[in-house]
Amino acid sequence: MLFFSFFKTLTDQVITVELKNDLCITGTLKSVDQFLNIRLDGITVEDPERHPHMMAVKNCFIRGSVVRYVRMGARSVDTTLLEDATRRGEFMVRVLKGLRVD
Amino acid sequence: MLPLTLLNAAQGKPMLVELKNGVTFNGHLVECDNFMNVTLREVYQTSADGERFWKMKEVFIKGNIIKYFRIADAILDSAFEQQEKNRAAAKTRGQSARGGRGGPAQRGARGGPPARGTPSGRGRGTGPPGRARGRGQ
Amino acid sequence: MSAVEAYVDHTVQVILYDGRVIVGKLRGYDPRTNLILSDCVEREYSLEGVEMVPLGLYMIKGDNVAIIGEMDEDKDGSIDYTEIKAEPLGEIRL
Repeated sequence: MLFFSFFKTLTDQVITVELKNDLCITGTLKSVDQFLNIRLDGITVEDPERHPHMMAVKNCFIRGSVVRYVRMGARSVDTTLLEDATRRGEFMVRVLKGLRVD
Repeated sequence: MLPLTLLNAAQGKPMLVELKNGVTFNGHLVECDNFMNVTLREVYQTSADGERFWKMKEVFIKGNIIKYFRIADAILDSAFEQQEKNRAAAKTRGQSARGGRGGPAQRGARGGPPARGTPSGRGRGTGPPGRARGRGQ
Repeated sequence: MSAVEAYVDHTVQVILYDGRVIVGKLRGYDPRTNLILSDCVEREYSLEGVEMVPLGLYMIKGDNVAIIGEMDEDKDGSIDYTEIKAEPLGEIRL
């Protein structure tokens, strides 16, 4: 759930998605779902000489299962907020497991 | 239209099934379920390299190893017509039972599986048995 | 998954796990990314140019789908694909 929420905060930012077939696609993140499927608008492909396959495609849906990396600008991430959310997540896990929380 | 609706409408019709490993099966669809497990009859199997063929009476293919189904074009139209008919029938049934619309969604209004009439005009074949592909070797 | 709804009845380019590129009209889908594509054409990329192979009606199982892209048909029509020379896409690894 954390990553789903995290990606939602990146909506309307420009990100680069590297796929497991080495294709790198840059575009504006339009939506993300629970499977971390990604919708990108206004896409461009890195190294279009080697990968001309997406030339006539303007926006695309990328299945979450084929994503290797997502690259984003350092400034589009609020790391302290992310750290807090991570701790809260850990806290909830401990509560659910009935472990000591302090 | 949902993929499963199309697959159901293709029952009794010829189709090509390619597995994830490149092996293909040409035959008539006998049965399918919600996992897209299928049973085909009068089947020609083609190896991934397209070099070898086998003929068999019937095969069962588990849905999770299938890459795609290749289906005769006409089946999309007939599936669509059938779907519209079922919807219309469900609507009138719902109205007569409730005496008008506006009530809560009716659970029974979906109707059973589409009635399979005799296929009108024999579906055309799905082409020659399997184009030899076999990537990744 | 609802992101795909916008592509229904549009021409899309689907890239499969094995690297195949298939262009067709999206007629339906479900939450597992199973797709119905009509009037499919496979685009076989090679160093001799792109070969277009008509395939007809396909129902592709979602586990094999990598990308669904909406085609800019004007742009697509303006490209001379016999002049596009590239290796076919690799398969999805890892």
